[in-house]
Amino acid sequence: MPEARWDVIVIGGGVVGCAVTRRFALAGAKTLLLERGRDILSGASKANSAILHTGFDAPPGSLEVACMQAGYQEYLDIHARLNLPILKTAALVVAWTEEQLAQLDGIVSKAHKNGVDDARQISRKDLLSRETGLSTTALGAVEVPREYVIDPWSAPLAYLKQAVRAGADYRFNTEVTSGTFDGEYWQLDSGQDRFSGRIVINCTGTNGDNIEQICRKPGFEIRPRKGQFLVYDKSASALISSIILPVPTATTKGVVLTRTIFGNLLLGPTAEEQQDRNVATVEREMLDGLIATGTEMLPGLADHSVTATYAGLRPATQFKDYQISAEPGKNWIGVNGIRSTGLTAALGIAAHVERLCGETYSDLANFGPAPAPEWPDMPVLAEHEKRAYQQGDGTEIVCHCERVTRGEIEAALDDGDVPARNLGGLRRRTRVMMGRCNGFYCSARVAELTQGKISPPLAGHEKDQS
Amino acid sequence: MSSFDVDVAIVGSGPSGIAAATALSKAGFKNIVVYEREANIGGIPRHTHHPSFGLLVFKRPMSGPKFIAALVRRCPDVRFETGTSITALRPGGVLELADASGLRTIRARHIILATGARETPRHGRLVPGLRPQGVITTGALQQYIYTAQLRPFEHPVIVGTELVSFSALWTLRHAGIKPVAMIETGPRISAYRPATLLAKAMGVPIHYNTEITEISGIETLTQITALTGGNKTATIPCDGLIFSGCFTGENTIAAASHLGLNAINRIPLVDQNWVTSDPCISAIGNAIHPADMGDQCYLEGAKAGAYVARLLAGNISLDKTFAEIRHGDGIKMTTPSILRSDNLGEPHFDLSFHVTAPFRGTMCISQGEQVLNEKSINCLPMRRITLRNNRFATGYPIDVSLIAEN
Repeated sequence: MPEARWDVIVIGGGVVGCAVTRRFALAGAKTLLLERGRDILSGASKANSAILHTGFDAPPGSLEVACMQAGYQEYLDIHARLNLPILKTAALVVAWTEEQLAQLDGIVSKAHKNGVDDARQISRKDLLSRETGLSTTALGAVEVPREYVIDPWSAPLAYLKQAVRAGADYRFNTEVTSGTFDGEYWQLDSGQDRFSGRIVINCTGTNGDNIEQICRKPGFEIRPRKGQFLVYDKSASALISSIILPVPTATTKGVVLTRTIFGNLLLGPTAEEQQDRNVATVEREMLDGLIATGTEMLPGLADHSVTATYAGLRPATQFKDYQISAEPGKNWIGVNGIRSTGLTAALGIAAHVERLCGETYSDLANFGPAPAPEWPDMPVLAEHEKRAYQQGDGTEIVCHCERVTRGEIEAALDDGDVPARNLGGLRRRTRVMMGRCNGFYCSARVAELTQGKISPPLAGHEKDQS
Repeated sequence: MSSFDVDVAIVGSGPSGIAAATALSKAGFKNIVVYEREANIGGIPRHTHHPSFGLLVFKRPMSGPKFIAALVRRCPDVRFETGTSITALRPGGVLELADASGLRTIRARHIILATGARETPRHGRLVPGLRPQGVITTGALQQYIYTAQLRPFEHPVIVGTELVSFSALWTLRHAGIKPVAMIETGPRISAYRPATLLAKAMGVPIHYNTEITEISGIETLTQITALTGGNKTATIPCDGLIFSGCFTGENTIAAASHLGLNAINRIPLVDQNWVTSDPCISAIGNAIHPADMGDQCYLEGAKAGAYVARLLAGNISLDKTFAEIRHGDGIKMTTPSILRSDNLGEPHFDLSFHVTAPFRGTMCISQGEQVLNEKSINCLPMRRITLRNNRFATGYPIDVSLIAEN
């Protein structure tokens, strides 16, 4: 039996891998996505601050800012057709010291250099009248009106769903461990299966340099940077209206306070260099430190409880800019060093990679006819929009904290394109068990509804008493 | 008045909600509805299958489900609407409800919130480590074992030694699951000492002065790391972790409404008759004092329901203003948290409270210069202490303080 062959194989199902898969599938390429986890977003992409950035503070002239701005624009263009939400909050870069206040001018001129013309400095008085919960120790701010909040999980899922409807394939639980190139086709090996494709695109994030070794000596080294976050109860989200950003330092954007699309308030991240590429723990001192910082900025936080804590890894390298390049003659494109801006930039990166592919491998980049795109209708998870329980989908609410109905859970488990196959995937698709009670009320019910459908299961059967 | 859909809307069908409904029904009110968001009524007792209910109400120990069934037999005329969530509470007795067919609003002459309590889970406690499956609460455990008949794990560790922690132990025993250990941050158990006998009988060690420093496991829990006495670190292999106790009121809807709240714990303020800052809304049970025994909640709900019956009958006129009850360090919360006078004679109140740490000394209730009540007490956290029949003068704040014995 002749083995299946693909035009393009994308390794890594993070937000970038999903967007790249979509781009090539829509261009008519027979595309395969390989992901080592049980679901998309199993690595760096599952934990971020969920902001759609204008790129106002990115290095001018960088590939990063170009991809961010292209990604930003494409998201605005397509989000409504995919039913993906946007919360138009604006951002305020707040100065807390005289030294930071003196930097605001520079931030505005950098923003203008990056084409974000509506960024402007606002006075302390304007800042405090806009954000009445903010500590009065704030000295001033830069307002960036078009910084928005989005859903970090539904967006990449929508990209992959659209790709699947355009004919793309995907395999989860598939970790590429080696590969060979015969001058025409790559053979990628997962230990269990082999996959044959003409062009390979490495989107493996924190594992990027290791996967790059399959083709070439990487010109960079992944230096994972951990970020810890706290999600506050929905009751806290009314404390701010805009995203509160600090004045950035050389290495990090610093600690952000933002509403989430799901109606919570997010505080984080920390920025910690670490060796481990796969595991990110939360630590008590760091969480306490974040709470102290957050409460200094927003004193009212002290009255609200924490719903969740999490940590994520950013695939940073020794370089500031993205590391995206095609290897001539080897049909290999590395998409690396997509540090903390991947959610915004993903669609722009995908367009850039498609262009790079066409330029480098002009003889290969004539794929089949481009299919007419289908636009999957994503479920409404945004707190400010009309959710399933409000419409009445004929089923009961299972998760009371996040108000997730049985119908929503069943739809995610039985989805025809990319069904949820583990608990994390189900949580990200529906919000179930993501709320303040951490499953006190609903986890046993969720265990019943997911029996035989997710792995690992939430529970085994009652022991046979006989 | 025809603009009201119901006389009294009760939110929550646990012991306090059922009690309030029963009292109102007995007082002759026919149009009472109890809204329950779960598929079955009963609140926490519906999945607590050991005999820790009934002693005060029926003078005999009963399981949670039997207790609820017996309570429901006392109020055959009360209507329960299950699968119905409250999504908003508005002035004028307006409730926004969600059920399988979507949202609707109803208007009640009076609303009684009896929304209960839940345990503080892992994230709310800021416990360090990874986020594997298998980390749950006692409430979830009981629903796994008794309601769904599913086993979430085989070798769990129980965090906490409150009464409910031993309820978790009992539940595990029923399922034939042997826990690896119990962990307590303090030097003794929080429940009454004889509870340790159950742990002993099951061969479960209790580690005192111990806290979790790391939860490990990528997908499913593999072990925890614990620090004992501030210097001794040990790893405990386990596939489950049960965070028990540290109850918090389920006041999400009340806290998002117009009701006055206690600034520290965001619990609705209630007066000595369980009426909130809005005279047409009451709040009762473990939502406002997380968490007391089911029987205590039932007795309280009955009194609160009877008071609402008199309010609705027009026999009571409430003062527009109320006085705050302030408390000092060492007290977790007081019930009531405000005092409001009515036309029913000399004003008085019963004061219940919980301490935050073991305490021996004098407890004092005063109003200005005047001491209203003083009592020497010896108590532990998570126990309800009540000082009865305190008389007060209308309109001035009350102070509750603890004076430790030297």
